[in-house]
Amino acid sequence: MWLEKMSSESRLKVIFIISILLFFFLSFSVSILLGPSPLSLREMKKALLKGPSTSTAASTIFWQIRLPRVLLAFLIGASLSLAGAILQGLFLNPLADPYVTGVSSGAALGATFAFFFHLPPIPWLSFFAFIGGFFTLIFVYFLARRKGIVNIYLLLLGGVAVSAFFSSLIAVLMVKAGKDLHALVFWLMGSFSGRSWADVKLSLFAFPLLFASFFFVDELNIFLQGEERALELGVEVEKVKKILFFIASSLTAVAVAAAGIIGFIGLVVPHISRLILGPDHRKVFILSIFLGASVMGLSDLCARVIFAPSEMPVGVVTSFFGAPFFLYLLRKKRSFSGSY
Amino acid sequence: MEVIKLEEVSFSYNGVPALRDISFSFNKGDFIGVVGPNGSGKSTLLKIIDGILIPEKGNVLFKGKPVKSYTRKNLAQEIALVPQNFNLDFSFTVGEVVKMGRYSRRGGRDLIFNLSNLLDKLEISHLEKRLFPQLSGGEKQMVVLAQALAQQPELLLLDEPASHLDISHQLKLFQLLKQVNQEGVTIFCVIHDLNLALLYFGKLLLLSEGRLVSFGQAEDVLNSKKVEVIYGVKTFVHRHAGRIFLTFSPRYTGEEKAKIHVVCGGGTGSFLIRKLVDLGFQVSVGAINALDTDEVTGRELGLSMAVEAPFTAITKEVFEENLRLMEQADLVIFTDVPLGFGNIKNLEAIKEAVKMGKLVWVIEGIEKRDFTGRAKEIISNLPGISYFSKIEEMVEKLRKWEK
Repeated sequence: MWLEKMSSESRLKVIFIISILLFFFLSFSVSILLGPSPLSLREMKKALLKGPSTSTAASTIFWQIRLPRVLLAFLIGASLSLAGAILQGLFLNPLADPYVTGVSSGAALGATFAFFFHLPPIPWLSFFAFIGGFFTLIFVYFLARRKGIVNIYLLLLGGVAVSAFFSSLIAVLMVKAGKDLHALVFWLMGSFSGRSWADVKLSLFAFPLLFASFFFVDELNIFLQGEERALELGVEVEKVKKILFFIASSLTAVAVAAAGIIGFIGLVVPHISRLILGPDHRKVFILSIFLGASVMGLSDLCARVIFAPSEMPVGVVTSFFGAPFFLYLLRKKRSFSGSY
Repeated sequence: MEVIKLEEVSFSYNGVPALRDISFSFNKGDFIGVVGPNGSGKSTLLKIIDGILIPEKGNVLFKGKPVKSYTRKNLAQEIALVPQNFNLDFSFTVGEVVKMGRYSRRGGRDLIFNLSNLLDKLEISHLEKRLFPQLSGGEKQMVVLAQALAQQPELLLLDEPASHLDISHQLKLFQLLKQVNQEGVTIFCVIHDLNLALLYFGKLLLLSEGRLVSFGQAEDVLNSKKVEVIYGVKTFVHRHAGRIFLTFSPRYTGEEKAKIHVVCGGGTGSFLIRKLVDLGFQVSVGAINALDTDEVTGRELGLSMAVEAPFTAITKEVFEENLRLMEQADLVIFTDVPLGFGNIKNLEAIKEAVKMGKLVWVIEGIEKRDFTGRAKEIISNLPGISYFSKIEEMVEKLRKWEK
């Protein structure tokens, strides 16, 4: 067989790629099939073949409820993981996740305003969230800029401070929210509950960003040698930092606008990817996207089946499973913290 | 053709000046070493040339155009820098690290690059699959050099590339740099060790406190006076086996130390003379034949000596010169030099020294090394001589000795 003709190293590579893809498609299928009212494989096949126009219960569940929700979960999982991978590389800091830049808090604040004024979620809540995130991005960016140079530490610390400030504003609004409090808290903790094709369409903005990030993998690898060395090797450091910060922040803003604040995925998935494949950002990015998407899909599945028919915020699931798994990895592999 | 030209360049770190009004230029194909004490601005100068730091005043021109007018990418194709400190804690293989040097030439097809050729040239092919963080300091230095050479630059700037290398790798490195230089690459290399600088570089640039002190032929740049002033140590120039090298002693501290006259010859005094100079004593030597090992040592250390012509018995004039030097000394030392008819007068001089009331230290066993049979007669009934069994004992006593 062709597999036997390869060197053991490349054979391992092929097996690895196949198993990742398998995991990806398996998670996707399971997420589609299972839920408060499960679909059988046959029902799914029928719904797929007949298209979205038929009005059987199975077809409606498949086309109007499950598919957009799962697609959105996969897309947001990929976006958050990639944003985390970019920011960890940019900040050279293992603690970086998509939320350190303060963009998520800005987005959450925007969304809270939308709640507060009872605006319809589509498009206003998402729009407010995105605008909130985007302006925070600009604010933090200029906060960290001195004489045309962006100081990475100022970016990080500025993000943390802005985050704390916005959180306090959100808390004030929550106190004033009254009967909307429950919905607001649920939204802030992150959920894909009730998401439709309209949400998917808004989030498609993340797609070009996912692809664009791959143009900068060489630069991120070189950044691991320090910014000065990157200059010496010919990297336009300030430009690349600006673009990558913009990509990561926009991905985060899109994710928060679509699903609230879902923790831990953006921190853990890039770490796991790096642990498996080493520090090369090309590999880390690819694996983060596939792994992040699959894990988010499965987490959302858990969120809707565990206490069915009522739902949990998906952020609860990711943190509940993610944190212990992360600790396990930290203990198991000592070199882990050293490799980032 | 001028590769680099600096015009009155000044730079400071948050108001602390690092370079002051530096102007110089060098040409394509030059092989230049940069020396200077710690904090003299050597590394800063490299970063200024590579456009990493922007001068506060003055211009840096590369091939006639300001460095800052180049994009980083274009500059990286022309100038490569091998930094002094290089950190990469991530488990990239050596091959991957070296290939990062190709970044600025990504997508270009103008130059042929072959990774294994480059690694062969640096004799690090065996490291290609190894993980960079697991290498030794010396191996890392070679890998970083490879990364810089992968840029295929016209000008290679190096910041103490040999600091982690053992002597054999040091030799290999500088031979390699010579070879790279012959292939047309201009080399501008910061080097800490003055003797290495003299050994490998024909042309040197000397910096001190951010100022350019001297730029030219290595021997002129590192003459003992300049080194003494700039490094604050006593410096002696030696010539041996066709090479020039420097040795150093702690600088005279201003405290008046005793004058010591050493009577020696045949190499019996060289160690002692050097030791005394290092300890800060004022040393004179005599009487001694020119070209004798001890005479060469004394000459290189710049001491006052009573010197006789080569292979000649000590004449009256030199004997008297010897006595004059003794007269000025606080202590006279007589080493275990064998006594023949040529230098038996030195023993008579010792006798005179005792008569002058000088403190006289002698290595014991004079009669055993006397080939004239006169020694016993000369020094019999001489009180006041202290005998030692070894030179080291004298040195030990002198360490504690106060005038």
